[in-house]
Amino acid sequence: MNTSNKKNRSWAEPYKIKMVELVHMTNEAERKKALVDAGYNTFLLKSKQVYIDLLTDSGTSAMSDRQWAGMMLGDESYAGSENFYNLEKAVKKYYGYKYVIPAHQGRGAENIISQILIKPGDIIPGNMYFTTTRLHQELAGGKFVDIVIDEAHESFNEHPFKGNVDLIKLERLIREHGSKKIPYVCIATSVNMAGGQPISIKNLKEVREFTKKHKIRIIHDMTRVAENAYFIQQREKGYKSRSVKEIILEICSLTDGATMSAKKDALVNIGGFLAVNEKKIYEEASNLVVVYEGLHTYGGLAGRDMEAMAMGIAESVDDDHVRARVGQVQYLGKLLTAMKIPIVLPIGGHGIFIDARKFLPHLKQTQFPAQALAAEIYLDSGVRSMERGIVSAGRNVETGDHYYPALELVRLTIPRRVYTQAHMDVVAESVYEVFKNRKKITGLKMTYEPKYLRFFQARFEPL
Amino acid sequence: MHFKTIIEPFRIKSIEPIQFSTRSQREEYLRRAHFNPFLLNSDQVLIDFLTDSGTSAMSSQQWAAMMQADESYAGAGSWTRFENAVRDLTSMPYILPTHQGRAAERILYNHLGGAGKYFFSNTHFDTTRANIEFSGAKAVDLPIEEARNFSSDFPFKGNLDVDKLGEWIENVGAENVAAVILTVTNNSGGGQPVSMANAIAVSRLCKSKNIVFVLDACRIAENAFFIHQNENEYKGHTFYLIAQEMCALADACIMSAKKDALVNMGGFLALRNKSLADACTQLLIITEGYTTYGGLSGRDMEAVAVGLKEVFDADYLKYRIRSTTYLGNALKEMGVPVIFPIGGHAVYIESDKLYEHIPVSEYPGQALVCSLYRTGGIRSVEVGSVMFGKYDEKGALIPAEMELVRLAIPRRVYTQSHIDYVVEVFEEIVKTKKQVKGLRIIQEPAFLRHFTAHFEELSQ
Repeated sequence: MNTSNKKNRSWAEPYKIKMVELVHMTNEAERKKALVDAGYNTFLLKSKQVYIDLLTDSGTSAMSDRQWAGMMLGDESYAGSENFYNLEKAVKKYYGYKYVIPAHQGRGAENIISQILIKPGDIIPGNMYFTTTRLHQELAGGKFVDIVIDEAHESFNEHPFKGNVDLIKLERLIREHGSKKIPYVCIATSVNMAGGQPISIKNLKEVREFTKKHKIRIIHDMTRVAENAYFIQQREKGYKSRSVKEIILEICSLTDGATMSAKKDALVNIGGFLAVNEKKIYEEASNLVVVYEGLHTYGGLAGRDMEAMAMGIAESVDDDHVRARVGQVQYLGKLLTAMKIPIVLPIGGHGIFIDARKFLPHLKQTQFPAQALAAEIYLDSGVRSMERGIVSAGRNVETGDHYYPALELVRLTIPRRVYTQAHMDVVAESVYEVFKNRKKITGLKMTYEPKYLRFFQARFEPL
Repeated sequence: MHFKTIIEPFRIKSIEPIQFSTRSQREEYLRRAHFNPFLLNSDQVLIDFLTDSGTSAMSSQQWAAMMQADESYAGAGSWTRFENAVRDLTSMPYILPTHQGRAAERILYNHLGGAGKYFFSNTHFDTTRANIEFSGAKAVDLPIEEARNFSSDFPFKGNLDVDKLGEWIENVGAENVAAVILTVTNNSGGGQPVSMANAIAVSRLCKSKNIVFVLDACRIAENAFFIHQNENEYKGHTFYLIAQEMCALADACIMSAKKDALVNMGGFLALRNKSLADACTQLLIITEGYTTYGGLSGRDMEAVAVGLKEVFDADYLKYRIRSTTYLGNALKEMGVPVIFPIGGHAVYIESDKLYEHIPVSEYPGQALVCSLYRTGGIRSVEVGSVMFGKYDEKGALIPAEMELVRLAIPRRVYTQSHIDYVVEVFEEIVKTKKQVKGLRIIQEPAFLRHFTAHFEELSQ
């Protein structure tokens, strides 16, 4: 629990509570019924059926009183809103990118950059896939290829930077397809599907040098860049005395553009942006954003939401904030480790990822162990988590078969500034209870499967 | 009511200061914005009539609902309240939330459209047309003849020409018709209302040919006011009931909630048909967000749920329509050529009649927009050849049918003294109209050029 610089100090929050939201305490009968109604998919539960909601850290942050005050300063003019210029300033100051186009959320920005840069037949290497990112690449005619280091796929490997790129894999791709077929390399900070794992500056610098040589861009999926920067500060040689703020600027300076879902690190409930350094891409994006999102000075966001985002960005790069944020995640992770629960190590920045294969070794992957485990945890305590395994991975477009990801995980994602230490204790106790009775858990079969992003709406029944 | 003054059925709870500027400052701002007021910063604008979209003042009730919002990613209580409000209005079983109206359009029209397909509408709006053309389909406007006759006081100039629609369907074949879109009120055609009788006729024709009938309902409350006023059989109906009846005629309903739902952000697509809903849901998740938030925060969904009720309040709607009419009548009296009758959300000026010395190829509408900004800091929008013009193979302009300038009035934002100031500015505009010059475009994108195009003033 000691993550501060001084010994024996806790990670206590650098804020106090200003406003609360009442939660509903559920009972077992209610939960049983709710789970059946939801087809054993935690996405389909209603929020009032949930006690502690660890489904996602996306859009679920508690905003600060300053952000709420900023919301009241929303300038809702259709064109040229003051809030846009504040957002633009914040992005330039804290991330260093030249041009900014707001989008209603991250996937709006991903859609636009994919359409501009990807031609049919292109290859997009990246440090592990993410559901919506890969889908937009595929819809634009491209193909995602994973170039993350092998360690990222091993849940117990304690490599400090499991988000690193394997340069040999990248080199092989360039040799095979030629650099002309690779419009950009997609670099995520930190890597969600690997368990919230960071990439090191050293590795990113190598990727930069290598891509420069081959004239390939780096597009930065920066939704959790502050958490990644914090891990660099804690783990990478030479960064101990550097602030999170400085490290973020260095990360961004090694890339050519970024897509941001501000619903994560930037502490807002809605919003995102596309940032680039090339004027030509900016101009193309300005024209395209009007079709999909809204005029380039609001991009589908209310003025107040751009203001909250500008302030959230400033708050998110503060050392004390990130230390407490990651500290809380580490706290839960350490509780679970002490209980011998198999989780992905090292503990990530935004959530705890339970290894469902190790948790439920008696189930085959086609019996959806992570989905079954998420359902069971909800049933025990009303804690809502998310499957990040075979269901999320979807199917191969060419063969029609499931992708079989090495990691079959249940994600307990911690919203920023929302839950207390006592809530974390309840979560750990519930997972432990399920762990004790794990032999009784049967697998699931899928009874409804949507074509795209199936994990959102698929329905299941127990075997 | 025998008093003439329009009194607002609310008082002000929170204000936003506006910036004053001098004429020479505005000259400079306009130059820097390349003579395109879309590119002005909002603090350079005194009275912002650019749009009534997303610019409403919300009520204390809406703000209170926002504070109670549930930001859960999936299955939020705010979503349930939003869904219930939309379902109650539209009577449609499948409700897809979107971050704003154009996203709902894009999802539905991309699915229905494609090369070789036709869309028919009373008049396609700019973003609607862009979405349709982006998919490769054709967008054909079929307004009634009276829509162009400005001396006529026919009350429903927003109607779609049902005879022409029938002919077009015969000619292109019903199987090639992607959808018929009825926009209420008809924004690009002068904000004119559509009668219930017309909606019924369109609905019948579409049903008999098995064609999807889409209602673009972004100003459905204002449209209901005109139906109540001018169609006898609806005199006894509430505005809400009229809107419900209109929705009941359609197969799909699209709404930019930024207009008549009195919010700053939000929209939806409502559908009656399950397989259509399933296909659209896939697209929704890819580009907008999960089915229970669609790219909106919980608080925005709350505000829509409350706003959709408030907008149908009889006192509000009376105030809204009367205050728009007040501005329109004042301009008409001083000889400004306005589209008549005055619509619900905006006053439309025929710029080519005001500036007879500026040819269409020099964009008289854009000239008026610039002139209004220079003279009084008023921001308006051109709805003419800048917005809808195209080029032929030789690069000559194919002009739009009308050269309008729209003064769109944000809901619950400006007072009568603001409006009186605008009227004064127009007195000056009329006095100095001969000195105004045309413009040419020096830079433009392929789609929706009016948002980002750069202009240059012509010297003669």
